[in-house]
Amino acid sequence: MQEQVTDEQVLLDVRGLRKFFPIRAGMMRNVQGFVRAVDDVSFQVKNGETISLVGESGCGKTTTARCILRAYEPTAGELLFRAGDSGVVDLAKLSLKELKPLRRQVQMIFQDPFSSLNPRMTLLNIIGEPLVVNKVAKGDELRDRVAELMRLVGLRPEFMQRYPHAFSGGQRQRIGIARALALNPVLIVADEPVSALDVSVQAQILNLLLDLQEQLGLTLIFVAHDLSVVKHISERVAVMYVGKIVEIAETTALFDTPLHPYTEALMLAVPQPDPRLRSRRAALQGDVADPSNPPPGCYFHPRCKYAIERCETEPTQLLELEPGHFVSCHRAEELDLAGVTGGAAA
Amino acid sequence: MTNERTPLVSVRNLATYFFTREGIVKAVDGVSFDVNSGRTLGVVGESGCGKSVTAMSILRIVAEPGRVVEGEILLRRVNGDGQELFVDLAQLDARGKEIRNIRGGDIAVVFQEPMTSLSPVHTIGNQIIEAIQLHNDVSADEARRRTIELLHSVGIPDPERRVDAYSFQLSGGLRQRAVIAMALSCNPEVLIADEPTTALDVTTQAQILELLRDLQEERGMAILLITHNLGVIAEMADEVVVMYLGLIAERGRVDDIFHAPKHPYTKALLASIPSIDSEPRVRLPTITGSIPHPYNRPAGCPFHPRCPSYMEGVCEEREPNAVSMGNGQEVSCFLYKGA
Repeated sequence: MQEQVTDEQVLLDVRGLRKFFPIRAGMMRNVQGFVRAVDDVSFQVKNGETISLVGESGCGKTTTARCILRAYEPTAGELLFRAGDSGVVDLAKLSLKELKPLRRQVQMIFQDPFSSLNPRMTLLNIIGEPLVVNKVAKGDELRDRVAELMRLVGLRPEFMQRYPHAFSGGQRQRIGIARALALNPVLIVADEPVSALDVSVQAQILNLLLDLQEQLGLTLIFVAHDLSVVKHISERVAVMYVGKIVEIAETTALFDTPLHPYTEALMLAVPQPDPRLRSRRAALQGDVADPSNPPPGCYFHPRCKYAIERCETEPTQLLELEPGHFVSCHRAEELDLAGVTGGAAA
Repeated sequence: MTNERTPLVSVRNLATYFFTREGIVKAVDGVSFDVNSGRTLGVVGESGCGKSVTAMSILRIVAEPGRVVEGEILLRRVNGDGQELFVDLAQLDARGKEIRNIRGGDIAVVFQEPMTSLSPVHTIGNQIIEAIQLHNDVSADEARRRTIELLHSVGIPDPERRVDAYSFQLSGGLRQRAVIAMALSCNPEVLIADEPTTALDVTTQAQILELLRDLQEERGMAILLITHNLGVIAEMADEVVVMYLGLIAERGRVDDIFHAPKHPYTKALLASIPSIDSEPRVRLPTITGSIPHPYNRPAGCPFHPRCPSYMEGVCEEREPNAVSMGNGQEVSCFLYKGA
């Protein structure tokens, strides 16, 4: 994996990313321990693809995304980004000043379209703000560019002078997307962009993201907890559990032949919109491990129905079992886990 | 002996309006359904469809400026002589003694957010003991013993210790279990679950749904399950009511709703959800436009501006009547004769 930085295909190479949050307590606010929110996460994002980070709350998916944007300062690790003409740079090491020109290339779409838009700004100001801040456009040029962006995401440019409250949840999410696209980014990090939306509107936004990606050649890092949505949008999927990637593979490979017991359990837990498929559920017992005090060995072993003695003591490593399919489980080779298609047929 | 055929709760033509300064919001406008013992009725719909207001109307906890303006909510009760009688909850004084006995007694509720439905300054044990002592004449020790039993029955490990825990000391899943234990504390006949798993992770959601199913089997209570998640409905419900902007679009047995939907809204809703079984990166069929604000509910069939089967001069003229399709399936749409 080390050599592939030279690979033109790789837009972002995340290596050994760590983000620990200190736990402070007592009068002197001494550090009592660390929440290991992201603990040695490595993956590559290829040019033009959609890669999803999926997992339960507290698994570190959002923290990983925020570290890539440098909204959080990573504790350790490298974020090697192919920045257009200037070659490969490590986003994790740059000073804020050095980072500024690169921020144009990496943009974010937020989860909640209600709190992520300033209610006292018009759409022109919201969508145009990145252009103004970066001195890209002003005056008529700015209005033209905002109108173009609004058309691109399916909003009518006549509404440019309106405020966010006049729009529904789905339309607001379109506004957020237009703002993210304003500076022609190459990489977009979308953190749960559809989970706050109604079902009938969710599909519209997912389609819009697929279309935009095709039109603009965007690369997308998609953070989500909903496996159905993840399957729908991504080319590759990384499953995270307590700060680590436990499995990463191409979407069809992951859903058809999962290699990690956690992936299997996660897929079985998704309620199917078909009453005839009721019997196939087997709920995962227990709760997610505490990231400040994870269990020894494989973090998943207390909940894993396949766990053996070795799992309780020996930590696992992410290994490539099949081409492009990485898994972090001692028993991955011997287990025969149920994928989605297998489960549905049964 | 109670008659199993008569519904436990029968909602007839319920209308709940909110009288705001801007005008009247008809949040629920003529909704009828039955809830039966041992069965789960799923009410599904998107935001603004009136599903939660329906639940609050049954409990008579609709907040000002909202009011139940029309309809009957008949609750079947058994009096001291073993005789059946019906109480119309819509007629009761919302602050009166009778409805307060019914709330938490006959009908209990589990809300979406377990953090906000529990007090942060009382232990979960205290909160459940309070509910038990409010509805039953028992000693504090007996109430505490029952509480521990309840916590055990909803799958909280180590209940003798957890009874003295505060809600913030529990995980989201355990908190929701504690809320369910509280709801069950007075052996309700009907459990209203309003988005009980929406705030939870999928694996925790699966645990809670399983728990609700087991408890229903043990106790034979009726569940009124309100959610926007069609997967949860498919998993849990026996009968389904699909609501859109305060009206029932369609209702029927769960298998008919998912495998033979009749209303264009039900069909479109089912088509637009991404399934874990579908092909990756294929465009989904969508419903055009967005849900109008309930204040501006379109005339006639409320779905007509978004409907792919819209018929000019018909759909916007008047509200469609419910047409029976057999097997208890009913659809309110002009595509079917008699609407």
